[in-house]
Amino acid sequence: MGAASLISSPLLMAEQLDVEKDTLKFGFIKLTDCAPIVIAKEKGFFEAEGLQVEVVAQPNWKQLLDNVITGELDGAHMLSGQPIAATIGFGTKAHIVTPYTLDLNGNAITVSNAIWEGMQENDEALQSDTPPHPITADSLKPMVVEAKEDGQKLPMGMVFPVSTHNYEFRYWLAAAGIHPGMYTSTDLKGFTDGDIELSTTPPPQMPATLESGKNVAYCVGEPWNQQAVTKGIGVPVVTNYDIWKNNPEKVFGVTKQWADENPLTLIAVTKALIKAGKWLDETSADGSLVNREEACRILSQPNYVGADFDVIKNSMTGFFYFQKTDKRPMPDFNVFFKYNGTYPHYSDGVWFLTQMRRWGQITEAKSEAWYHETAKSVYLPDVYRKAADMLVAEGALAASDYPSAEYDGYKPATADFIDGVSFDGKQAIKYLNSHKIGNKDPE
Amino acid sequence: MKLLSKIKYPLLKLIDISGFKVLDPPVRLMYGEEPEKQVRDILRYMLLPIVFVLACVVVWNVAGPKHKTKSGEVPTPSKVWTAAQDSTRFKNRENEKQAAFLVEGEVREQELARVKAELLKLEESAANLKAQSAEVTLKGQSEMDAKILPVKTRLDELKATLKLAKAARKEELVALADKVSQGSASGESLIALVEQDAAEYEKEKARLKSINDELDAIRDNPPAAVKKAQLDSNKIADEVQHYKKRIDYLTTGNRSMKVESAKEKELTAAAALKTSATGADALKQAKAVVSNRKKATSTLEQEYPRAATIYWQTWRSVATVFVGFVLAAAVAIPLGIMCGLNRIVMACLTPIISIFRPVSPVVWLLIFQIVIGAFFPDPDEHPLFRFMNHDNNPLAFLKTNPAMIFSACTVAMCALWPALVNTALGVSAIDKDHLNVAKVLRLGFWSRLFKIIIPSSLPLMFAGLRISLGVGWMVLIAAEALSSSDGLGKFVWDEYQNGSSQSFANIILACFVVGIIGFALDRFMIVLQRMVSFDDGSSTA
Repeated sequence: MGAASLISSPLLMAEQLDVEKDTLKFGFIKLTDCAPIVIAKEKGFFEAEGLQVEVVAQPNWKQLLDNVITGELDGAHMLSGQPIAATIGFGTKAHIVTPYTLDLNGNAITVSNAIWEGMQENDEALQSDTPPHPITADSLKPMVVEAKEDGQKLPMGMVFPVSTHNYEFRYWLAAAGIHPGMYTSTDLKGFTDGDIELSTTPPPQMPATLESGKNVAYCVGEPWNQQAVTKGIGVPVVTNYDIWKNNPEKVFGVTKQWADENPLTLIAVTKALIKAGKWLDETSADGSLVNREEACRILSQPNYVGADFDVIKNSMTGFFYFQKTDKRPMPDFNVFFKYNGTYPHYSDGVWFLTQMRRWGQITEAKSEAWYHETAKSVYLPDVYRKAADMLVAEGALAASDYPSAEYDGYKPATADFIDGVSFDGKQAIKYLNSHKIGNKDPE
Repeated sequence: MKLLSKIKYPLLKLIDISGFKVLDPPVRLMYGEEPEKQVRDILRYMLLPIVFVLACVVVWNVAGPKHKTKSGEVPTPSKVWTAAQDSTRFKNRENEKQAAFLVEGEVREQELARVKAELLKLEESAANLKAQSAEVTLKGQSEMDAKILPVKTRLDELKATLKLAKAARKEELVALADKVSQGSASGESLIALVEQDAAEYEKEKARLKSINDELDAIRDNPPAAVKKAQLDSNKIADEVQHYKKRIDYLTTGNRSMKVESAKEKELTAAAALKTSATGADALKQAKAVVSNRKKATSTLEQEYPRAATIYWQTWRSVATVFVGFVLAAAVAIPLGIMCGLNRIVMACLTPIISIFRPVSPVVWLLIFQIVIGAFFPDPDEHPLFRFMNHDNNPLAFLKTNPAMIFSACTVAMCALWPALVNTALGVSAIDKDHLNVAKVLRLGFWSRLFKIIIPSSLPLMFAGLRISLGVGWMVLIAAEALSSSDGLGKFVWDEYQNGSSQSFANIILACFVVGIIGFALDRFMIVLQRMVSFDDGSSTA
């Protein structure tokens, strides 16, 4: 607390940047991972940088992106895939860039009670109040096959075509041999060849669609999985932490034009976001997250996420309810700063690009170099580094809190995926070809 | 007394014009006019309706909670009232924070001391309540565990027996199947046994489910005391948070403090400039002076970024609907007059009117977003928004933005038709004698228009405008929900997205606010309509 209040005092601040624009408007979607933006505002981190920021809820991802492009918003809380997709022109085309990743992990896949019972029948190990994790889609497959034989494709939901949820859900299904469907130049819904039908549903409507049977499973961020548990309509079976450990989730995005016109403002915003991320991940000596409860209380205000404090608290304070009886410690369910998580790694961009190609959102084969060029045109580690260096000079950040200057932007190769396939960001096409289901390209 | 009797008829006339006929009998009774009839009328047309409405509220109160959905039960009137109070509290908090942001000098220090003292008290009771809540929760948990335990044991026992039964049945099946393959039993019997096994399995599942449901019911209903303690503790923790934020706004976030600090830095830099040893240092200090000077002036103009409250959103909706309505009237009345005067114009416009009138507002909104959006490539710099949001503009509080224009245009597009059609009808229905007189008097076009055509078509025109305003208000709420233009529509949509325990009550609250304002707008139009009508206007009530 002492350190935090020192940071938030502008009187003790070193230099404020000479920002080009000091009154800003940022958009967000009502999900708990908008926290860094909200916290930077409510805890005065933006103000410490001399910025007066208004934070406005947006009805959906499409509208949010449109508002950023038209200039109605200066910047926004975006899905990691959104700046990339906009830049390469899948969906609305606009050059969007990001200097800051807002969080890691934070999603889960929830199945309806009926599907859960079926999965339990197919796998005895699941017949427990606290089944062993991670749960794969293997026990789901027989039901998919059965439904398909009856001429039916099980309907499932994710939040947006270029959302992390879409790629994670597809990854989880494909890892068990369930074909989630391909996008083609004529099929923009991504149903082609699929064993199931994975379609878009806005997050707040997820529980309602599960209840009505419009979806039998969904992948979404919080608080919508915990809400399924609270309401007793479904069971979260796997979090994206288990699908890909510490995967990038949301980013802070602005248009390239805005970034070019307001370079110092962007650095100032990034500074405030870094401080907010650090504040959110602050732990006490025994490792418990000290500021999360306050963060939940702020987020539960109706103008922010607005869900009940208790519901938000369920997932944000280091625990996760898989069933009412199954509360597990998940200290890394939401990561806002640790593990260099907020740094804009090029390898993150490459991963999303490989998934877009894997599922056919990118319709033609691309060269290896294209993957890296595209990632480099979207992610702005230079801005992050400038902001972080300034914070180090001000004593608000330790040099060990972010990658050193020699770092090339590619995380080391990792096999921390549910199917154990290894991902090396430097070898995009080789990674693409290492999957059983999905597009493959000549190397 | 004389004055009183003097205003009787004007009063009655006012009641008549405003359309509140219900108030007529009590006024007449006050003057002692036919007391028996008046009392009878009051009973019939005033008390009975009131009783009926109260009965509806009672039915709502009783029936609402009976309908349980997965999103909670239908809120009772008292819950909606609580939601209204919470909305007001939210507004008051915004006011307090704004005041804290703006307050200066000694008042700020007094206020700071006061808020700090209150915070201390609050924190104390918050800590108490939290401890209490933890205690109650613990107790409640053990109570629940005690309730769950026997059911759970039953469940485990049942699971064990069922497992045995299942294994036994499987053995039986395998044995019979072997027999069938050896030819010592008929295939039919095996099929029957398989069917029987499936039926048994279904039954077992149902039994398990009923016990599981029992468990869920216990888990879903923690003792009331636990819920209450948690709510109380949450509420006060919320208040503590608010006070802390207020202190922020009174200290580091305060506008005058920020200006002060920039000025101080400017002075320090200016002093350092004088003693600077090197050219580079001097340049750096000079730059610091300039940037801090700039900062001090720009900070002076900063406003408190208010969060949207239902009060503000109501104002914005009303403003948007009026903009849309005026746009609609500005197009509809001239067009309608032209249609009424000239049958060729009418024939030309009829297909357009017939095709576009039934189009849904949602479609118009999307079209306007695309078409009109192109006019505002950079909303911050557009002269319209700069004018509307200028600090000296009294309407700046509405925060006009492109989304508001889209919504207003959608309202205009949908509200256009009733006014247009009615105006055309009014104009074409003018008494031929009037027009002949005009001809005889050799009146020019403009005098004919303003002396005869418009005055005689006014009643129908206003009837059309009244329908237009009603349509516009209904359309607006949908348009706002979709376009995320601030207003009641967005309030409803945001609440739906929040999905908190209070969202349902807030949506019903918005329903009342929308209804009451719609009613007020309609009354407003009725008054206008009656004021321009030659007859008593009773036919349009």
